[in-house]
Amino acid sequence: MPPAVRKSSMNTVRQTTAPVSSRVRPRAPWLSIVTLHQGRDAMPTSEELNNLAQAVARKGDRQAFAALFKHFAPRVKSYLIRLGTSEGLAEELAQEAMVSVWRKAPSFDPSLANVSTWIFTIARNLRVDHFRRIGNRTADAEELDGDDMPDTLPQPDELLLTRQREAGVRAAMAQLPDEQAQVLRLSFYEEQPHSQIAKALGLPLGTVKSRVRLAVRHLRRLLDGLEP
Amino acid sequence: MTTIQHHPDDELLLAHAAGSLDRGHSVVVASHVENCAHCRERMHVFEAVGGALLDELPAATMAPDALARTMAAIDASPKPLAMPTQAPHPVLPPGMTWPRSLTGCPATRWRWLGPGMRWSRVTLPDDPAANVFLLRIGAGKNLPMHTHSDSELTQVLHGTFHDGRALFGPGDFDEADGSFHHQPVVQAGGECICLASVRGRVLFNGVVARTLGALVGM
Repeated sequence: MPPAVRKSSMNTVRQTTAPVSSRVRPRAPWLSIVTLHQGRDAMPTSEELNNLAQAVARKGDRQAFAALFKHFAPRVKSYLIRLGTSEGLAEELAQEAMVSVWRKAPSFDPSLANVSTWIFTIARNLRVDHFRRIGNRTADAEELDGDDMPDTLPQPDELLLTRQREAGVRAAMAQLPDEQAQVLRLSFYEEQPHSQIAKALGLPLGTVKSRVRLAVRHLRRLLDGLEP
Repeated sequence: MTTIQHHPDDELLLAHAAGSLDRGHSVVVASHVENCAHCRERMHVFEAVGGALLDELPAATMAPDALARTMAAIDASPKPLAMPTQAPHPVLPPGMTWPRSLTGCPATRWRWLGPGMRWSRVTLPDDPAANVFLLRIGAGKNLPMHTHSDSELTQVLHGTFHDGRALFGPGDFDEADGSFHHQPVVQAGGECICLASVRGRVLFNGVVARTLGALVGM
């Protein structure tokens, strides 16, 4: 086990990473990714996060995993808490999600989704499965979900398409009017999306639905060029 | 395969992508998405929204030993990955495949429901209360006129029907709520098999139809 992973906190991992000069080392680009942000809290780019996930997939790179953990575990926990999960359970499920990230890394396919989207789907499925498990006290083994088994091999241009889609979604979301961005966000953070959002915002259900429609139409306009 | 004309709307697909649909509805939406390239792309877009939202969330504070515990769990012997087992399902007509979204969900043999009408109850192991079933309706037959107290999703797996508004063929998806009464009629060409999930009760018009409804447990 490399030294980084024996450390007990993410902050420590950060301090043990390679110097900036390693950025140019062609054989270990993921090391430089962590270093790049040393001393400032810039968000790693999608490209950098994708590289980390691929380093985990190809080499079981624990330092790359630690960097992924640092970015995603606190956000997965935050996501779960927003959905009403208690602090303790959110902590536990966030760790469990990151274990899944490690185990499923070989099936991570950047031509289908970027790593944030992939981890979002892992956290989403884990949360849904957890509450079903509690409800029914069955399912003792982890299941391979359909998402892990693409039925067709990705086409060469799918990687480009996915990059355009992910970048396009982010650009489109940055341009959404606040009220539309708000309902979209709440759609992901509320258990029973639209009726509950309407109640929370004190708006008629129809208004919420039309804002969601507008938000989606707005996204689609920006993404229209991408449809195969 | 014929061109798919009817798709889940944005609200439903967004809820599916966000993980907020109940289990019954989500298997029916998934049975559509698995065969519809258009909706797979839409799902990718909605999931990318989820990914982007995840990135912009404020970071919660993890326990000091969170990474160490996660690595320990990784190093511990992994839980065996269970390949979903193929559960029993009713005999299907040639050319029809069992939806992947129902893998591991047992379904009963075809049961008589009325002249030219059979059904099969689908059990979702992780949500036994979900009201999910297959309907198999003979050529030229129609379902009793009914309306819905809440929401019914239907995915056409085989054959075609006309519900008075539009024609639905293999791969097509339909969502109905209490706002209208409909009476699906199966086309003369052959029988039709649909997967449906019902939330709330289906309200049939007429005594005979209501009896059938009670029989199905709807």
